[in-house]
Amino acid sequence: MENNNTFAEMYSEYLRDESRQTGMAESISFPKTEEEIISDLKKCVYKNMEITTQGARTGLAASAVPFGGHIINLSKMNKVTGARYEKESGRFFLKVQPGVLLTEVRKYLTNKSFVTLDWDEQSREALNYMEKNQWFYSTDPTEISASIGGMTACNASGAKSFRYGSTRDHVESLRVVLADGDILSLRRGQCMARDGHFELVTESGRTIKGELPKYKMPHVRKNTSGYYNKPHMDMIDLFIGADGTLGIISEIEIELSKKQAANWGVTVFMPDEDKALDLVRVARGEKVFEDMEALSLKPSAIEFFSHNALEMLKVQQKTNSAFASIQEIKDVYHTAVYIEIENDSDDEIWKGIDCLGTCIEKLGGDEDATWVANNPTSLEKLHSFRHACPECVNMQIDIAKKTDSRITKLGTDMSVPDDKLKEVMKMYNEDIKKNNLHAVIFGHVGNNHLHVNTIPRNMEEYKRGKELYLTWAEKIAAMGGAVSAEHGVGKLKVPFLQKMYSKEELDEMRSLKKLFDHTQLLNRGAVFPFEKGEDI
Amino acid sequence: MKIIVCIKQVPGTNEVKMDPTTNTIIRENVASIINPFDTYAIEEAVRIKERYGAEIYGLSMGIPAASEMLREAISLKIDKAMLLTDRKFAGADTLATSYALSRGVEKIGAYDLIICGKQATDGDTAQVGPSLAKTLGIAYATDISKIIELNYGFMRCMKITDDGYEEIEIKLPALITVVKEINMPRLPSIKSMRNAKSAEIEIVTSKDAAADENRTGLKGSPTQVRKTFVPVHDVNSIYISGSTEEQSKKLAEILLGKES
Ligand SMILES: Cc1cc2nc3c(=O)[nH]c(=O)nc-3n(C[C@H](O)[C@H](O)[C@H](O)COP(=O)(O)OP(=O)(O)OC[C@H]3O[C@@H](n4cnc5c(N)ncnc54)[C@H](O)[C@@H]3O)c2cc1C
Ligand SMILES: Cc1cc2nc3c(=O)[nH]c(=O)nc-3n(C[C@H](O)[C@H](O)[C@H](O)COP(=O)(O)OP(=O)(O)OC[C@H]3O[C@@H](n4cnc5c(N)ncnc54)[C@H](O)[C@@H]3O)c2cc1C
Repeated sequence: MENNNTFAEMYSEYLRDESRQTGMAESISFPKTEEEIISDLKKCVYKNMEITTQGARTGLAASAVPFGGHIINLSKMNKVTGARYEKESGRFFLKVQPGVLLTEVRKYLTNKSFVTLDWDEQSREALNYMEKNQWFYSTDPTEISASIGGMTACNASGAKSFRYGSTRDHVESLRVVLADGDILSLRRGQCMARDGHFELVTESGRTIKGELPKYKMPHVRKNTSGYYNKPHMDMIDLFIGADGTLGIISEIEIELSKKQAANWGVTVFMPDEDKALDLVRVARGEKVFEDMEALSLKPSAIEFFSHNALEMLKVQQKTNSAFASIQEIKDVYHTAVYIEIENDSDDEIWKGIDCLGTCIEKLGGDEDATWVANNPTSLEKLHSFRHACPECVNMQIDIAKKTDSRITKLGTDMSVPDDKLKEVMKMYNEDIKKNNLHAVIFGHVGNNHLHVNTIPRNMEEYKRGKELYLTWAEKIAAMGGAVSAEHGVGKLKVPFLQKMYSKEELDEMRSLKKLFDHTQLLNRGAVFPFEKGEDI
Repeated sequence: MKIIVCIKQVPGTNEVKMDPTTNTIIRENVASIINPFDTYAIEEAVRIKERYGAEIYGLSMGIPAASEMLREAISLKIDKAMLLTDRKFAGADTLATSYALSRGVEKIGAYDLIICGKQATDGDTAQVGPSLAKTLGIAYATDISKIIELNYGFMRCMKITDDGYEEIEIKLPALITVVKEINMPRLPSIKSMRNAKSAEIEIVTSKDAAADENRTGLKGSPTQVRKTFVPVHDVNSIYISGSTEEQSKKLAEILLGKES
């Protein structure tokens, strides 16, 4: 462990994550093996030091920001350590250390360029069944320098989670180092809870018996608000999306997906927001009008751009050469929906898009007001158009920051059930107007998960925006929604989670934590507030 | 107003395979695309159509599969397309290509403007545009970056030169070749793709075009590519070692050519 007086100066970057919050710590270590994690943990527990686990620090909920104690940074555990191919089912898996970055995994898969020196025979043999650029890891957060461990701890997702689900759906096994240095090795399907009760056996042979909380999770497509909980759940799911509060993940086996032959995108411009939301419903297979044929589109992503978002992009396009290459946004374009589709052949995709065109017209849109990308080059153009949204927001925040350095990005990460989509949009629009704020809305509308970004022009507006978010958390919880859909609760959104779950329900979460982390040293203050227990 | 856009099909990758005996590109089984520069030519024609009204013809010489590429050009909002395809056209150099294209142009009939890309990404000669204009006996201007004004008799436009821009006026009918700066090509829409699916591509053989066989294909090509190769860049590094003094002495000797 490295520890000295100028710690804050030497390791200042490790006191922050992408939420731009800054914390403090006394020491840091960069373990290279599971054994080193265990020994670091034991030392901390002995000294009763809090421990913050870090992946790539791209988190947006200040979850990896330490508030005292020791940092265990996993960036040096960054290897892919094996592969597995199940011939009968045709499933492919990779075994990775937690610190390996998504970009690296993608690169290895595209070029089939794994470093196999330390792999066992079986893993190397499995690679014989892999062709270059035919497999991918489907979880696609916009931030591709996230670590697989961090993504697992946050249950990260991305645009394509509409089709492929979140990280949870692709984690096959985990090794978790508990605060006392003992290890849980969990494989999907092998450690099921029964009627809210579970029993887990650690590698040292200790049995951890427990009762699951009583609260019910919201019925939403995307959720990372507090611990995963179902009476008959697979216990591996408890450790996915737990924001690093239950243990340190030291190894992950992820399942890969097979690339499909054809991949298209289409951006549709609708004449108003309501029609755009109807199109979203059509695209995800809802019956919006009576004589509607079932749409065989099977989208992998459905994304949204509010009118203000398009206006923002339009201004940037004219004034900033960095955005000059995005397609021309015509004045008649009001609100946009982006749909991405993968299938076996171009013909199959075209059939779906052809039907979509008919639906657009029926909804009062214009099928000529669309951009179709049917090859990688043009698809890239539509992707950059999508990515331009957060980039433009960040630029505007940087401008606002000049008026007051305390101003940071104000983006929401909440999701609601399918039937509340229009209601939540109405709420956002009305509240933004009522509070005289400027905001752009974009994001994963297929999953009813939109990022509302208020763009404060000064500190006063920033404060008003922040207060508004807390009221939204309350209203969304009342709609049966989730206050965090993909970034995790972390330390920043603890007050939000308190709007979603009662004191008793949060206590249930805390009890669960204490079962695995007696003295509550791991990521203290994340998910729910730290409360001293009697047993300390 | 009638506009003809010349569109060439080129391989979609940099990994071009050459036929070692004929030294021509193997075009079968390679994913091909519209020559990127020609997408700017198409877009400019469509912008003229939207501004002044026009009928746009796409014209290509290539293998039969190039008709799918022309269909894609229709989805980018040109109106009609003609493919010159015949074994007799195969193996053409720029001279034979321009002659064949000129036959296509004659078959299309009266026109006001021909737009070509600046160059093709495979052959890369940038000769076909000017050569086609010569064959047709019309005025031409290359490297056009902006069309300022267009009327039935004349066109005013900007041309990129080594030193900057030139504003020129050219008498119609004329041929121009365009550079990337000229516009931002649009993506197709669902509607335009649907139109393209059912569009008819006019297939024209050497005979249909009343082409002189001695002027087309390998036969009509005075240029024969004899060998293609990747140039070798020889960079020789010399490492100098020793004390600072020794090193500077050695360096001086090398610079003075006293040591190799
Ligand atoms: C521009 C931008 C775009 C983003 N887009 C998305 C998006 O589309 N979808 C999305 O889901 N997220 C997105 N994020 C958020 C972020 O990328 C994810 O939350 C990501 O999962 C964090 O991974 P990380 O490795 O950086 O983790 P960190 O930030 O280092 O840590 C996050 C949490 O995981 C814990 N943790 C890390 N590693 C381990 C481990 N091995 N064991 C136990 N706990 C661990 C930490 O303690 C912390 O609680 C975005 C972020 C940015 C900056
Ligand atoms: C490696 C290689 C080297 C070659 N070297 C030579 C050479 O040195 N001399 C020579 O004469 N030929 C050469 N050729 C042959 C040449 O590629 C063909 O003649 C080709 O059809 C036209 O030339 P280009 O590709 O250079 O086109 P360019 O002159 O660069 O194309 C300019 C524009 O003309 C139009 N155009 C060109 N071809 C067509 C077409 N088939 N259909 C419709 N529009 C078209 C397009 O608008 C295009 O943007 C070479 C070919 C290869 C593959």
